[in-house]
Amino acid sequence: MDEVLARQSNDAEKIKRPAKFLTPQLKATASTLSIQLGMVFAFLLIWQFVVERGWISAFLAGSPAGIFSKLLEAVNNGSLWDNAKATVIEAIAGFLIGSLLGSLLGLSLWYSSFFARVVEPFIVAINSVPKIAFAPIVILWFGTGMVSKIMLATSMTFIIALIAAYEAAKNADRDLQSLMLALGSTKHQLFFKVVVPYSLPAIIATFRINIGFGLVGAVVGEFISSSHGLGHMIFTASSFYDLDTVWVGLFTLMLVGFILYYVVDRVERRLLPWKQADSGQRFRV
Amino acid sequence: MNTAVPKLSLRNVTKTFPAKGGDVNVLNKLSFDVYDQDFVSIIGPSGCGKSTVFNIIAGLLHPDEGEIRMDGEVVNGLRGKVGYMLQKDLLFPWRTVLENVVLGLEVRGTPLSESREIAMEYIYTYGLAGFEHAYPKALSGGMKQRVALIRTLIYDPQVILLDEPFSALDYQTRLYLEGVLVEAVETFKKTVILVTHDIDEAVALSKRVVVLSSRPGTVKAVHEIGLSQRTPIESRSDPRFSGYFHALCAELDIQTKVGS
Ligand SMILES: Nc1ncnc2c1ncn2[C@@H]1O[C@H](COP(=O)(O)OP(=O)(O)OP(=O)(O)O)[C@@H](O)[C@H]1O
Ligand SMILES: [Mg+2]
Repeated sequence: MDEVLARQSNDAEKIKRPAKFLTPQLKATASTLSIQLGMVFAFLLIWQFVVERGWISAFLAGSPAGIFSKLLEAVNNGSLWDNAKATVIEAIAGFLIGSLLGSLLGLSLWYSSFFARVVEPFIVAINSVPKIAFAPIVILWFGTGMVSKIMLATSMTFIIALIAAYEAAKNADRDLQSLMLALGSTKHQLFFKVVVPYSLPAIIATFRINIGFGLVGAVVGEFISSSHGLGHMIFTASSFYDLDTVWVGLFTLMLVGFILYYVVDRVERRLLPWKQADSGQRFRV
Repeated sequence: MNTAVPKLSLRNVTKTFPAKGGDVNVLNKLSFDVYDQDFVSIIGPSGCGKSTVFNIIAGLLHPDEGEIRMDGEVVNGLRGKVGYMLQKDLLFPWRTVLENVVLGLEVRGTPLSESREIAMEYIYTYGLAGFEHAYPKALSGGMKQRVALIRTLIYDPQVILLDEPFSALDYQTRLYLEGVLVEAVETFKKTVILVTHDIDEAVALSKRVVVLSSRPGTVKAVHEIGLSQRTPIESRSDPRFSGYFHALCAELDIQTKVGS
């Protein structure tokens, strides 16, 4: 038996591609990356040039050199780190609470189509209000600290996650459900073995969107009233016409969003290995 | 004929679906028997309610009238006692071959350590060794149906329902899987009901063929097939094969002579 198992795992090994150091994919990634970096660099150069020539006012547009010096300053005195940390914590906390609660609730609506029908119009109604309009109330209720920003980020992400999860669960493959029922499955088994795994890709796809909305919630909350965060930094700097600092805040936000998106991407690969099976395969056109 | 109590019998099963512009009567007083270790094929024109019969037997739909008896007792469908195979492989894309194969046992509550061992044996026997951790999308159509077949066999159902299981496959693969099926059914002493559009397949595999009329489906005729060969390929070369074939074509009003 051991021998048999060993042989099987050997067979399985053969299916995997041998790891090489400079695979074609790696080369392709390196070349796209260098082009992308080149584009950014060229853009900054042109910007600096145009500002120095006086074609565009440095006062209204900022300049790469000025941004760079503000960046060094903010990094050195630690304020950039403090602000970024505050915003990231608010956005992630809100994102997690909103997305997880929303997804769970959306999935559980599958259990009772009657209850789902009852609450559906309310969900649609809430969804049709721009969530950001709640910001002033949320700040009134939860104060000017981090909690109110977390609540805002939660409210931005919750309904989106709920609707996506509910839609996905509702559309779970009928034939797979029939098969499960024929095999004698209970409603629980149907839920955990078909509905949840079937909905997972759609739910995680919303996580990608929601990570952005989490940041929106946090930053808008900081605009309205706060003493910390990238939103606070951008808002106060712009009221002093300090465009260079505004850009530092914006670029940091961009970087934060980028990293968080990448993390969600990694999580997705982890959770959905079966979706990855043919990722290397592309049609030649 | 067989005097034993039928494994499964349908009595006057009637089913009507509500539809726009009037109800559709799909099955009308359908009755037939299936005995233990029987191999019954159901053929009939498209839309005559063959899949509906299967859904009723599987307990996914309830008949408006009539009853189903299993081993002589009236039952409410055979949920948890049937294996089920369709033209679509119905594999779970997020489960590996091994995880797909053990699905039925998992639903039944068999511990994984136990079902895993049985599953590996089957996977090995049916030539899928090395693919136990592959996802379905990495398999060919024939391999997927083999996985679906293993899943059905390993579940050890009272009755196996096959709804055009091989019709999406190429002829070679189909012949091969027909052989695998017949052998497995012999070995494990299973009772099978097969829906097929392929008269040739029905004759080669079955002990009996039930011909349904067009909608509303009723039993139009039942033909006993007396071929005793071991494999579907040998059956096809039996001199009596074409006799059965033509008789069934005639039942379905298929013209077998040009210009007649
Ligand atoms: N859930 C349903 N609601 C309404 N009508 C249905 C439903 N299921 C099946 N029907 C109708 O019942 C009829 C028979 O369907 P069924 O799928 O049983 O046919 P079939 O004999 O399996 O056909 P085919 O050979 O093409 O697979 C069809 O006309 C179909 O439109
Ligand atoms: Mg059908």
